[in-house]
Amino acid sequence: MARWQLPRNDSWHAMLASKAVSPAGVKILRWIGMRSSSSRRIVLPLLLAGLLLLAWQLLMTFHKVNPIVLPGPGAVFDSLRQNLPFLSVQGYYTVQTSLVALLISSAIGISAGIILIISRRLKDAVFPNIVFFELIPKIALAPLFVIWFGTGIELRIAFAVFLSVFPVLLATMAGLTATDPSVLRLCRALNASVLQTFFLVRLPYAAPFIFSGIKVGSTMAMIGVVIAEFLTGNTGLGYMIMFAATNLETSLMLSSILLLCIFGMALFWGVEFVERLLAKKYEAPVA
Amino acid sequence: MPEASLSAPASRPRTCSKISAVLLPLLSALVWILAWQFAVWWFSISPVLAPAPSQVISILFSAEIHNLASHGLYTGLEATAGFILALVLGLGLALTISRYGWLRDMIYPYLIGFQVVPKLALAPLFVLWFGIGLTSRVAFASFICFFPIVIAGIAGLCSISPSIIQMCRSVGASEAQILYQVRLPSAIRYIFAGMKIAATMSIIGVVIAEFISADKGLGYLILFASSNANTPIVVTSIVLLCVIGLLLYGSVAIAEKRFLARYAG
Repeated sequence: MARWQLPRNDSWHAMLASKAVSPAGVKILRWIGMRSSSSRRIVLPLLLAGLLLLAWQLLMTFHKVNPIVLPGPGAVFDSLRQNLPFLSVQGYYTVQTSLVALLISSAIGISAGIILIISRRLKDAVFPNIVFFELIPKIALAPLFVIWFGTGIELRIAFAVFLSVFPVLLATMAGLTATDPSVLRLCRALNASVLQTFFLVRLPYAAPFIFSGIKVGSTMAMIGVVIAEFLTGNTGLGYMIMFAATNLETSLMLSSILLLCIFGMALFWGVEFVERLLAKKYEAPVA
Repeated sequence: MPEASLSAPASRPRTCSKISAVLLPLLSALVWILAWQFAVWWFSISPVLAPAPSQVISILFSAEIHNLASHGLYTGLEATAGFILALVLGLGLALTISRYGWLRDMIYPYLIGFQVVPKLALAPLFVLWFGIGLTSRVAFASFICFFPIVIAGIAGLCSISPSIIQMCRSVGASEAQILYQVRLPSAIRYIFAGMKIAATMSIIGVVIAEFISADKGLGYLILFASSNANTPIVVTSIVLLCVIGLLLYGSVAIAEKRFLARYAG
């Protein structure tokens, strides 16, 4: 009976004791009010999504909202189904560009992080400037990148790398300084060379940090590509969103945004998948 | 005792690192700016491609600055309004969610999911819903910086160990007392960490919304000047944006110091 234990919350007790709800209702309320369980963590979010969709549909049926301002869920679904082949191609362009940018910024970010950790003076000189760069609105530099890199794929990759390199760099530096000091002492005691210590101890220790940086970077890279597509471009989901917005095809815009969100999550989970694979291969615990 | 060759920040003398911690970053920034100036002069790069720092400084001290400052003030006010709106809504939602476990289970996955998706792509939707005026930009900025505040707020309010809460209950503290005297003080650090991220995000949100539709503000000015190939104005506007961003961030950092000294010191 432990599963149906009531939470330590007076309002629930009062509601259940007052018999204001039917027995079936009591069961549902108890289930909602019970402690976190995995089933609840799956069902409740789905319930919320369902309720929101229902509210959206009801709003459309009873209020006659202009479909340009907000098309109904059915219209968005229709638009998504009709344009799916075309939109997936556009999404493929966006994801591909983001992936290339992410690979470049991972390579730059990790190697720059290693260099900055090795040379303390260089780190002292550059690190505050990097933090400063994290604080400023980097996205405002997009028009400058258009001037420098034109309107092609170079612009998208360059801007996405510019946005996503800093999280990787900062995470790499944080990870490389987070090695357990006692393990480093053990390495010295065992006469490990600097290179051995670095590749066999420090880098594996830093891996979870680096991957969390790359995950943040994956979101930033996608944002960079989409912003660049907003400003200039004739392919990609960012362009599609802008195109639909200027033509007031809101259902097309919403389905493009939905697809972009799905692709963004896919990129994020893809990085996580690689992390898990590597962790399994090297038998490291995933942080 | 020998130290690790690659790490050990404490291994160097204090005084030396203290001076270098201030001087070296400034020096490297100066070197960058000088190198930029020199490169522009040596290769005679067109100001359309890359205006020299001296050009940017001369704009900052010319009559043009009044125009720039009025745009900057507009952007700054929009960003601040968006930030404050997000702070009120975010903390409200965080308080509600952390009170009811089922609500947290219901909403939290979406909050986390929104961290991953490119939210900035939703800017055209906000322009469609809230018009091309100030409302859409403030709404978009608050939408963008809402998420870090909520997530930090929930993390902070739930960070306190349940045994402490149980102890408070056992000595007869009311829920309100627990909230104001235990939960909120322990959440301050978390909330301010979220607010610091949000301070930067709100400016980004306003600038993106201004890119899409505006007739005022630095984002508008940047796009307008870049389409006229007036790169010096673009760079100067970006410099002003950085100043606004740092001001907003700095005021959050100062507020954090005050709050910590008062409530969690």
